[in-house]
Amino acid sequence: MAFLLCGTVAVAVLVGGSPYWMYNMTVVALFATAAIGLNIMLGYAGQISFTQSAFMAVGGYGSAILGTKLAVDPWLAMIFSAVLAAIGALLIGIPLLRLRGHYFGMASFALALGTPSFLLAAASLTNGPLGIAGVPPLRFAGVSFLDPIPIYLLAWGVCIGAFLVEISLLKSHVGRAWRAISTNQDVARSLGIDARKYKLLTLAIAAVMASLAGSLYVEFQQYVAPDIFDIGLIMTIYLIVYAGGRGSIAGPLVGAVFYIVVPQLIGSLEQFQHLVFSALLIAIIVLRPNGIMGRGRQYAPVERILPLWVQRRLRRDYD
Amino acid sequence: MPPFQGPTDQELLSVVDVSVHYGHIRALEPLSFSLRQGGLVLVLGPNGAGKTSLVKALAGAVPAHSGSVRLGGKDVTWLPAHSRVKQGICLIPEGRGTLPGLTVRDNLDLGRHAAGRARQSDSQSDLEMVLELFPPLASRLEQDCSTLSGGEMQMLAVARGLLSKPRVLLLDEPSLGLAPIPTARVYDVLDQLNSNGLAMILVEQKAVPLDRIPDTTLVLQSGRVVYRALGQRPTEAQLAELYLGGVGAAQ
Repeated sequence: MAFLLCGTVAVAVLVGGSPYWMYNMTVVALFATAAIGLNIMLGYAGQISFTQSAFMAVGGYGSAILGTKLAVDPWLAMIFSAVLAAIGALLIGIPLLRLRGHYFGMASFALALGTPSFLLAAASLTNGPLGIAGVPPLRFAGVSFLDPIPIYLLAWGVCIGAFLVEISLLKSHVGRAWRAISTNQDVARSLGIDARKYKLLTLAIAAVMASLAGSLYVEFQQYVAPDIFDIGLIMTIYLIVYAGGRGSIAGPLVGAVFYIVVPQLIGSLEQFQHLVFSALLIAIIVLRPNGIMGRGRQYAPVERILPLWVQRRLRRDYD
Repeated sequence: MPPFQGPTDQELLSVVDVSVHYGHIRALEPLSFSLRQGGLVLVLGPNGAGKTSLVKALAGAVPAHSGSVRLGGKDVTWLPAHSRVKQGICLIPEGRGTLPGLTVRDNLDLGRHAAGRARQSDSQSDLEMVLELFPPLASRLEQDCSTLSGGEMQMLAVARGLLSKPRVLLLDEPSLGLAPIPTARVYDVLDQLNSNGLAMILVEQKAVPLDRIPDTTLVLQSGRVVYRALGQRPTEAQLAELYLGGVGAAQ
């Protein structure tokens, strides 16, 4: 249902041809792609991770540096950056995934915190705070992906590809193994599941998705700077996954639409825009604690402050 | 019935001086025994006796502090848990270890996959075999396993374990929290499997409703063996005395 609704909106935006909404929906597709990676890690494999913004930076800066300094074809630069992100994920994951539970999360948080500082410090490669401008755009058969329609279609193509990868993995043994690991790692091991191997695979897949989103964003903007990949970016991706519903297939898409589109719709409220958006976010947390598309029973914490007889009526539907 | 190589006198599992420590706490003092093909080792003891530590050490879920474990002559002491499953050591953990959120079929598929490519055979006929052993599961294949009763969950745990094609089945308190009738049903199947040649190490707190007399019975108390018998098991009265009286009652 959520896919149908989002698909209808995406087609309507394309047919409507408004550059403004096309821009917004392109950003939705890019955020959703990075959020799918986090959803796989957090929602299915049960692994807290803050690595997505760092891998988006690998994609973004990889494309920018290869394109501007080495004049590599933008498509090749995007693919090379994604491979680099996957290798980086394995190099980080092999030592750090020995840590269980939130310890890996803490280590990956340090990576997210350190990414902008590293980009600022490596000025000979990254131009420091000035960033890299004039990133060559993607081109195919004479079509420039700077135009709204081609980049819109490409971003959604990549996003749909990420969804298909997620769905096919979930239906395979890999998906069952992820769920076993997230439910009980000891039981998973007693079933012959090498938890570390599966977590490494998850981290690499998430890294590739983030890298592609980062590359496309930079090709689309033709500019990259360190502050794009600050701690706010990973917080945004977390917000998208939690608001949309972690562990649900449509969650990242619905969360990205909520995060990007809703503020535009309430833009006329001017100074109250942020206040209303925050109130909506709190409403989701209170009424749909597992996210808009969240799995499982949605026991809203707000019910607990109601009289018991009201709670009983509310819960009748569940029983 | 899964095709097991029938019972023989050939040693299958050899446990030599295996001990388990958690930091400074000695959960299990050095312990040795062996298990033949189709044999049965019964490990009894109260809470905190070291029974679970023993089977976890054999399955690789916790590292053995000392000693060695050999399966079919091959040293598996340093193999991680997931590799030991592929060698044929399967632990059915305390509390069953079924995975809520996954269907009964998904749980069984995980067991089938655990056998590893080298030992997988016809998965459909294997599935049919375990469903024959545990008929209540057949009608619940697409059901979330968290909706099963305690007895059915235990059946699922054993069925999943069998699909991993074990050579040795380690069962950690399979009767825990079960009413007498489901316990008897599970033990009926375990009895059949053992008689057909599947080697087992069975951990329980009290006497078990098994027809077979175990090859070896060990009673643990505070990490130490306080009773060891070959070809017999302690009576209820002996167990009560061992649990309450401790080391003095050792044979």
